[in-house]
Amino acid sequence: MDLVSADRLQFAFTIMFHYLFPIGTMGLAPFVAWYAFRAWRDRDEEAGRIASFWTKIFGINFAAGVVTGIPMEFAFGTNWAAFSARNGAVIGQPLALEGIYAFFLESVFLGVLLHGKKRVAPQFYVLSAALVCLGSWLSGYFIVVTDAWMQHPVGPSLAALLANPFALWQYFHVLTGALVAGGFIVGGVGAYYLLARRDESIGRRFVRAGAITALIFSTLAIFPTGDRNSADVTKYQPIKLAAMEGLFDSTRGAPLAIVGMPDVPSRRLIDPVFAPSALSFLAYGNFNANVDGLKAYATQLWPPVELTYYAYHVMVGLGTILAALAALSVLLLVWRGRLYRARWLLWLLLLAMPFPYIANEAGWVVTEVGRQPWIVYGLMRTSQGVSPNVPAGETIFTIIGFAGMYFLIGVLFLLLTLREIGLGADRGVIR
Amino acid sequence: MSLAGFILLGAMLTVYVLLDGYDLGTAAISPLVAKTAQERADAMRSIGPFWNGNEVWLIAAGGTLFALFPKAYASSFSGFYLPFTIVLWLLMFRGLAMELRNHFTSNLWRDFWDVAFSGASTLLILLLGVALGNLVRGVPLDPNGYFVGTFGFLLNPYALLVGLLAVASLALHGALWLAMTARAELARRSLAVAPLGVAIVAALYVAATAYTFAMHDVDGIAWWVGLLPLISLGGLAGVFVAARLARPGAAFACSSLFLASLLSAAAASIYPFIVPSFPRGGGISAAGAMPGDARVLIFAVAIAGLIAVIAYSIVVARSFTRDAQNR
Repeated sequence: MDLVSADRLQFAFTIMFHYLFPIGTMGLAPFVAWYAFRAWRDRDEEAGRIASFWTKIFGINFAAGVVTGIPMEFAFGTNWAAFSARNGAVIGQPLALEGIYAFFLESVFLGVLLHGKKRVAPQFYVLSAALVCLGSWLSGYFIVVTDAWMQHPVGPSLAALLANPFALWQYFHVLTGALVAGGFIVGGVGAYYLLARRDESIGRRFVRAGAITALIFSTLAIFPTGDRNSADVTKYQPIKLAAMEGLFDSTRGAPLAIVGMPDVPSRRLIDPVFAPSALSFLAYGNFNANVDGLKAYATQLWPPVELTYYAYHVMVGLGTILAALAALSVLLLVWRGRLYRARWLLWLLLLAMPFPYIANEAGWVVTEVGRQPWIVYGLMRTSQGVSPNVPAGETIFTIIGFAGMYFLIGVLFLLLTLREIGLGADRGVIR
Repeated sequence: MSLAGFILLGAMLTVYVLLDGYDLGTAAISPLVAKTAQERADAMRSIGPFWNGNEVWLIAAGGTLFALFPKAYASSFSGFYLPFTIVLWLLMFRGLAMELRNHFTSNLWRDFWDVAFSGASTLLILLLGVALGNLVRGVPLDPNGYFVGTFGFLLNPYALLVGLLAVASLALHGALWLAMTARAELARRSLAVAPLGVAIVAALYVAATAYTFAMHDVDGIAWWVGLLPLISLGGLAGVFVAARLARPGAAFACSSLFLASLLSAAAASIYPFIVPSFPRGGGISAAGAMPGDARVLIFAVAIAGLIAVIAYSIVVARSFTRDAQNR
């Protein structure tokens, strides 16, 4: 394996593993804050126990996120030295601010949630939960800003970076993606309790809150955030758009490929099912607009087409299915609470839990693989960004090391999370 | 402006060492002072709620280094690819060991995790100390600022001496943390090892300082840098006296003073470089790449953020201690 591939593989592996945990923190934080607020406002003791329960699961996610996040920061210097030496003064800024403005907020006030329930004033506890949520969402913004600069370099001033037009909708899309996951996690755990016929009062609350959250945010993930995000891609990265859609020939009234397999050597889609003219409409709001195909650009500028295409279709396909599942659940919920007794649907909700994660990760694959061959779009190629002084063999060695370490972390994370769920949500305050 | 950036970064790293230092030090000292399984669990519990937040200082300092001195960040991290990756794995493993430990009920497993935790933490301190030693000594750099030495070069006697000093001083720092926060026998025993700890740290400190002065040209340094070793020795003496008077809080504060002055002296010997070359005389300058006005902005925003962090950390800590007093 050559050095660039080894470095890319290591970054892809470590960032995708890491990102599992921010999905959990950004998606669960509002639930913690909401239940803490309910407990305080309505003197709802059950809500207080629920807040403690999700705080513990949030805490496990946060710890795993910190532990797997440090390697990401290291990787800029260890594996991408040429990129960092040239661009660190720009993108180091949001990364530094993430630490200062987001992580401290999260960690200090998470400490209050985990250890202060009986020790601080109830309003202060609710405020802490809100600040933890703010911290985790801010952290997401700083990361999206960092990434957006690599997608659409602006700046280099801090103000220009933070106001990057590429960042805004991407951030809302990322956040709604995490909240869809949060909804399905809460709904899935609730479905488990109902199916297992235990903690049923809490189980019903979880299923209700989870299904409604999932419906709201899976709708917002499609429109406006997903739609506006792809409008930005259309505007700033038309080659990525063509790869996402598997469009080889520039077409007026371009169709949208619902399924199909890109055959790059012969420049076509195999067995496609098209929605006529839909791509032109989605990209430009006009059924007759011309959409540039990949052939309009030199092949050296193409991203890896298959991976970009499949990842995009996995994200969109899962997003649609999850939105439908959430809609069906809410429908049965408002139909006199039939959802609570519909065991088949509870099973579906339980089994749906991993899929929002896959959709979130696939979305990032589209963003980052679709950015290739650039590390900074239009300015610096990925192959120019690696550390010139690190041999490929050392990177392969560390990939193997990370695989072992992350296996342990993954086992631990599942063990701890499943244990908390198994112990139940109705346990009073944290030990 | 480059000096201000250097000081900001140095201050953030110092806070990291003071805070995560007691976590690491507690792990390093606990095999010596925590005799029973219960005491080992108590030692863990005294740092359990804090280690993750303390590590955030390292992340924030890393981001600041990246933003202010990207060239130094790039060349030092890639130059020391394997050592830094090993440090990283140890950081991760120590967190894992701490979190995993409490989820095993078997004593055999707990013993295993205790040893793993203490071992990883001690090794981590040693490596961080070796890194600091090499930074003060200088490392061989090519004209582009990339490290060109070998692994063996990094394990020189001076760096190893600084590594040992780091282990001893953070173990002492950890013992004082335990003396301050643990209960009964464990606290008493932790305080009792302090005088011996001070003696070992003082011996290593004098040796390392003498070595540093022998190695470097001392003509050009500012007069106040010469005061730092006196402050360090004063801090150590303070630890000794406070430990004898059974005042663990004061001893911990003196130990913090010792560590802060030690790190300040190290920083003063590195400046105006971020990574000095070996032999000394050049290196990656602290002047940095960012245009001046952009630097002022990020700087102001970072400082404002840190002030807010310190303010709300104090509010939170107070709300906890107020409760402890009310009970």
